[in-house]
Amino acid sequence: MTQPKRLSEDRERDLIRRLVDRDEQALSELYDHLAPWVLGVAYRVLGDDDEAGEVVGDVFVQVWTKIRQHDAARGPLVPWVLSIARNRALDLLRRRRRWHRKAERLRLEHRGEVDETATPGEASVPGWPVHQEVHRALAALPAEQREALTLAYFEGLSQSEIATRTGTPLGTVKTRMRVAQQKLAEALRHVRDWMV
Amino acid sequence: MTDWMGMSAAPRTPPAGLKARVLARAGAAGAPPRWPLALAAGLALAAAGFAWWGRVEALRVADVQGRLTQMAAAYRDTLSLLRSPGTRVIQIPVSTNGQAGAVTIFADTMSHRWLVTCHHLAPNQPGQVYQLWFITTTGMASAAVIAEAGNVPMVKELEMPKGAGTVVGAAMSIEPGAGSSAPTGPMVFHYML
Repeated sequence: MTQPKRLSEDRERDLIRRLVDRDEQALSELYDHLAPWVLGVAYRVLGDDDEAGEVVGDVFVQVWTKIRQHDAARGPLVPWVLSIARNRALDLLRRRRRWHRKAERLRLEHRGEVDETATPGEASVPGWPVHQEVHRALAALPAEQREALTLAYFEGLSQSEIATRTGTPLGTVKTRMRVAQQKLAEALRHVRDWMV
Repeated sequence: MTDWMGMSAAPRTPPAGLKARVLARAGAAGAPPRWPLALAAGLALAAAGFAWWGRVEALRVADVQGRLTQMAAAYRDTLSLLRSPGTRVIQIPVSTNGQAGAVTIFADTMSHRWLVTCHHLAPNQPGQVYQLWFITTTGMASAAVIAEAGNVPMVKELEMPKGAGTVVGAAMSIEPGAGSSAPTGPMVFHYML
């Protein structure tokens, strides 16, 4: 098991600067670090390897062409890239009108829990320590709060839809999500660098 | 901090060949941040080109319009002379170097102007010109020098000579160089009104 090393904020800034300068080598490096996670998010949303691969292509093309839109003051690069992946995947899910079938399949597969069966192998993947930290933070949440967050993030459900899906009053869902986000933010406050 | 929620998904090993396809797509996507600049530059260039073309066209049109206005004014003036009730038409057959031709004078006694047309005058010899004369009560006065001749009819509009006597006739001679102050060469015609 290789020891993970941290990628400093300086290194991230350098990577962004090189992307802005149209350095294709920087895009290649970013792909090496982030592709497993982008693919993981896309697959988690879509449950389909081909569609997830399509999303990976869309995400890195968007990063390449829109890197100037990344505002470092609003957050690190990795969450920005992953949010693009999530949005792309949800768009694809909705566009192809497979919403109900796939959502049901995902619900059955994941049952609100985080699926690690496709993990290619712990520390061989760049960013594994962050993955573990986020996992721990999610695991520390009560199950109903974790479920609400997961349904919102990976299935793109609105709070009303989550209330319908889980048979919970809307007000309760709102409270659960607010509290869960606060706890998660607190637990991950120290995550500033992304680790490889 | 839901920003990091994406990292809770299990990573997946990208299939072989995906990286190459992604980088190729990115390469084909080029550098969009620069194209709006190129587009703006292109539009500015096109606008400048259109402005320049418009300016040149406007000048050309103004020039053509000016020339047309001048021509129309000349034609109106000629027409007024021809239509004048005081205009008298005198046609004088001439022979130049064995070639039959004619000189026609439209003499307007009201505006004291002549319109003279010359048809089928033989081409001038090198160093020679045709010269038209007014015959006045005080002698010959030069009316016009015609340096060209041939099949194209020539038209001259002439004012009556000032300070000379009354015009009583017209004559044409062949003169050397740029013309003479008095007839010296052979007469083409000599006509008394």
